[in-house]
Amino acid sequence: MKNPMRRKIGSRVPAQIALVPAVMVALVVYCGSTLWTVWISMTSSRMLPNSNFVGLRQYSSLMGNERWSTSVSNVLLFGGLFVAASLTIGFLLAVLIDQRVRAENLLRSVFMYPFSMSFIVTGLAWRWLLDPTLGIEKLLHDIGFASAHFDWIVRPDRVIYTLVLAAVWHASGLVMAIMLAGLRGVDTEIWKAARVDGLPVWRTYVSIVIPMMAGSFATAGVLLSTSVVRLYDLAVAMTNGGPGISSEVPAKFVMDHLFERGNVGLATAAATTMLMTVIAVIAPWLYWQSRQRAAGKLT
Amino acid sequence: MTAISTPSGRKPKHTSTGRIGLYALLLISALFFLTPLYVMLVTSLKSMPEIRLGNILSLPQHVTLDAWFTAWSSACTGLTCNGISVGFWNSIRILVPSVIVSISVGALTGYTLSFWRPRGAKLLFGMLLIAAFIPYQVFIYPLVRVFSQVGLNNSLPGIVIVHTIFGLPTMTLLFRNHFAALPMELFRAARVDGAGFWRIFGQIMMPMAVPILVVAVILQVTGIWNDFILGLVFAGRENLPMTVQLNNIVNSTQGERTYNVDMAATLLTAIVPLVVYFGSGRWFVRGIAAGAVKG
Amino acid sequence: MIRSLAAGLCLGTLLLAPVASHAQTKPQPKAEVIHWWTSAGESAAVKVFADQFTKAGGIWVDMAIAGGVNARTAAINAIVGGNPPTAMQFNTGKQFDDLVENDFLVNMDSLAKSEKWASIMPAAILAAVTRDGHAYAVPINIHGQNWLFTSNAALAKAGATAPTNWDDLFPALDKLKAAGLIPLAFSGQKNWERGLFNSVLAGMGGGEMFTVFWGKRDIATIKSPQFRTVVDTYRRLHNYVDAGAAARNWNDATGLLIQGKAGMQFMGDWAKGEFSAAGQTPDKEYGCTVLGAKSVSYLMGGDVFAFPKQKDPTKTATQMMLAGLLLDPATQIAFAQKKGSIPVRLDLDTSSLDACARKASGWLADPKTQVPANELLSPPALTGAVEDLISQFWNDPSMTADTFIARLASTMAQPF
Repeated sequence: MKNPMRRKIGSRVPAQIALVPAVMVALVVYCGSTLWTVWISMTSSRMLPNSNFVGLRQYSSLMGNERWSTSVSNVLLFGGLFVAASLTIGFLLAVLIDQRVRAENLLRSVFMYPFSMSFIVTGLAWRWLLDPTLGIEKLLHDIGFASAHFDWIVRPDRVIYTLVLAAVWHASGLVMAIMLAGLRGVDTEIWKAARVDGLPVWRTYVSIVIPMMAGSFATAGVLLSTSVVRLYDLAVAMTNGGPGISSEVPAKFVMDHLFERGNVGLATAAATTMLMTVIAVIAPWLYWQSRQRAAGKLT
Repeated sequence: MTAISTPSGRKPKHTSTGRIGLYALLLISALFFLTPLYVMLVTSLKSMPEIRLGNILSLPQHVTLDAWFTAWSSACTGLTCNGISVGFWNSIRILVPSVIVSISVGALTGYTLSFWRPRGAKLLFGMLLIAAFIPYQVFIYPLVRVFSQVGLNNSLPGIVIVHTIFGLPTMTLLFRNHFAALPMELFRAARVDGAGFWRIFGQIMMPMAVPILVVAVILQVTGIWNDFILGLVFAGRENLPMTVQLNNIVNSTQGERTYNVDMAATLLTAIVPLVVYFGSGRWFVRGIAAGAVKG
Repeated sequence: MIRSLAAGLCLGTLLLAPVASHAQTKPQPKAEVIHWWTSAGESAAVKVFADQFTKAGGIWVDMAIAGGVNARTAAINAIVGGNPPTAMQFNTGKQFDDLVENDFLVNMDSLAKSEKWASIMPAAILAAVTRDGHAYAVPINIHGQNWLFTSNAALAKAGATAPTNWDDLFPALDKLKAAGLIPLAFSGQKNWERGLFNSVLAGMGGGEMFTVFWGKRDIATIKSPQFRTVVDTYRRLHNYVDAGAAARNWNDATGLLIQGKAGMQFMGDWAKGEFSAAGQTPDKEYGCTVLGAKSVSYLMGGDVFAFPKQKDPTKTATQMMLAGLLLDPATQIAFAQKKGSIPVRLDLDTSSLDACARKASGWLADPKTQVPANELLSPPALTGAVEDLISQFWNDPSMTADTFIARLASTMAQPF
């Protein structure tokens, strides 16, 4: 990894100065706040933080909290489906749009507009659409399909899928843009060669184009993953965690206990748990990546 | 704006069935994407008695723009009833410096991490990457304490710094990925020519990063414009952004609700990011192409 | 790059300049008030206070932030950050416990004494603003939380009459169901699921059981047969809500009554605002009552103003000036009319209020009917934990009443 060439090149002082803001933010805000959060999670803090040490009590009550365990399993299910579906749909839309279609700009805009709107009210629009007495189910009944059912938003065992639906709607336009750009970075020669070899179109995509777009998938994947962990607004606007606790998610658990319920101790314990999980996933990945890079597989 | 860059997909075989299938698929997808927008739009054009009838998908019987005017200039958001227009200029005043500063810092950090790699660069990058995953609400309380110690609370510079702090991970990621994709020879050649840290950044690297810059602008404009809680807590009572008024219209818990005004207010609030967004659509795609392909 | 950075900073300063000049204070007393009254009706109500304050020579700086959580987050961070507002709204109850403990609030004892709070307002409301014998907030109004609203059109269609007690309730609901209407309009969000539970608990179990449950967390009461009846009744009500309930806002549920599509709704008195926005009046298009056991148990919630401590003594004087206006008889009546609540003072002539509010004032003349609401009895952390359980029980038919009661008991035993 150590590049002798780079070592030789001149003064690093400006570079170190340039990193001062980022280092300060990382140390003061991220590290400082994280340490503070870890400390507070071991106190009995309620609405305001205090320094009454209670050890791991908040963690043990977190572990016994059914809403927390539901939130964790929900976010895993949600995350898997959401990332997979957004990547797939975003990629397919990009492929479709890449077929020299008319009105490409209009279509691209249509797919991307949800990204620019906050969930406060779009969540309400989705809630209405999925409400069996107002939305799509009612429409189907009105036009004669009396046995049609589309009531997942009110079913505790299905409601999480409706969150996936709205989240995919929100994010896949952005993924499409990333993928479209990736597709257009693919060398045209490859298409010519594939055609000469008589490879079917879908085979060309699957075995040549997609592997070449690993970077696009990675970028989109990271962006989508951050929004999975931070998932909050959508859950509040669409279902508010309901019915019951069936669509609760960890970030909402933290927020509700931090502000509404004045249970800062439990909220910070949950936040610490989330943070540790993220570190446990990302640190090995970063390490693996830097090993790969050192081995010359990536730049 | 017909072609972003030449579409590189396989040349269409002009078999009409295939093309019809293609357009049918695109049309169905477009309908899926537009349905919530349709609901919001027709609701905003109805009167409240009509909305109470409860048919959310039907077209308005009497189209009225009243809700739009109310949302903009006369909806109650507390004691005053001046709609969401009140916070518009505050939002702009928060938006412009926040976007500029957050992108500047992110670009500089990304550039330094990619080319100069000082000691601890990897650790810093790792920390920023992890920070991208943390729900930022967790940081509010400690930040308020720190900011009040240094006298930055409740001020425009305060909120600009907060947006910079929370934009830093994503912005750094974007620019680092972009710069990492550029050939190292470019950098070495510039060094050999005697160019220093700032000259390489300002005269060589940033001009090559214009597309990613546009991406960054779009992400930050969307995020900062739609921000509610940070503006509420850090901007101070004189500088509250428009989203506070939007929230006041949309989120009242016990008061009566006017959905047509809610929808109109939301659509109005979305106009600024949409304009920026659509206006730079062609750059957006190119930008991603230039930078993010590296992963 | 540097150029754009510099440009950004310059622009920032430039934009900042006008703000700085605005910030200069004028000699008139200025009150910044944080509250979450943002709808049209609520705006009209807060204007009553603002007008009084202006008339008294002050300047009212309105800081409305919708959503109690948002407003409280902003206010608490402003206090912690050293820039406290003049006054802030809280719901009557324990939301400001920690602020009192940390010595952030101004003591209101002198005002409580001079205005004789103890003799004009319900004891539970006074207790809710008192900590260790000192008053720390000014109560403003009383919201009744356990009303039963009925749609007269729907009842007529089903040939049913509005119930006046729990025994009449289910036959009426059955008739509504048979007529193809939605018997019980409901909004399936956690806080309303808890609200419905509280209505049943106070109504069937009585005010004392309600107080013991939330306030004393008495395990024996939770395991008593009477409490079991409450739980069974609550579960039984689930048979009368429709499929769309889970995805609905409370006001849309009220909308179903307004349209005559649904028969009844349990909701707080703020629902009157929706009826009057649709041009309906009580005892004409809709009915309002509180179902009780032996006597009515009126769940009293409401709002208070608290006054965070200031460094500047002139600001403290402004706070006392504002606080002194709030309980003026004419102001109290005017506020209650607009807000849909009733005055916090029980010694006023309420004939100018609507029919529902007049009923409430009549009930409250008897101290036995005065039952403190949930928020007055339990801290938000406990309320939230129990709310999660109630919500699970309501939405999960496979959870038995025994499981529910056992888990309630173990939650209540935890430290909060």
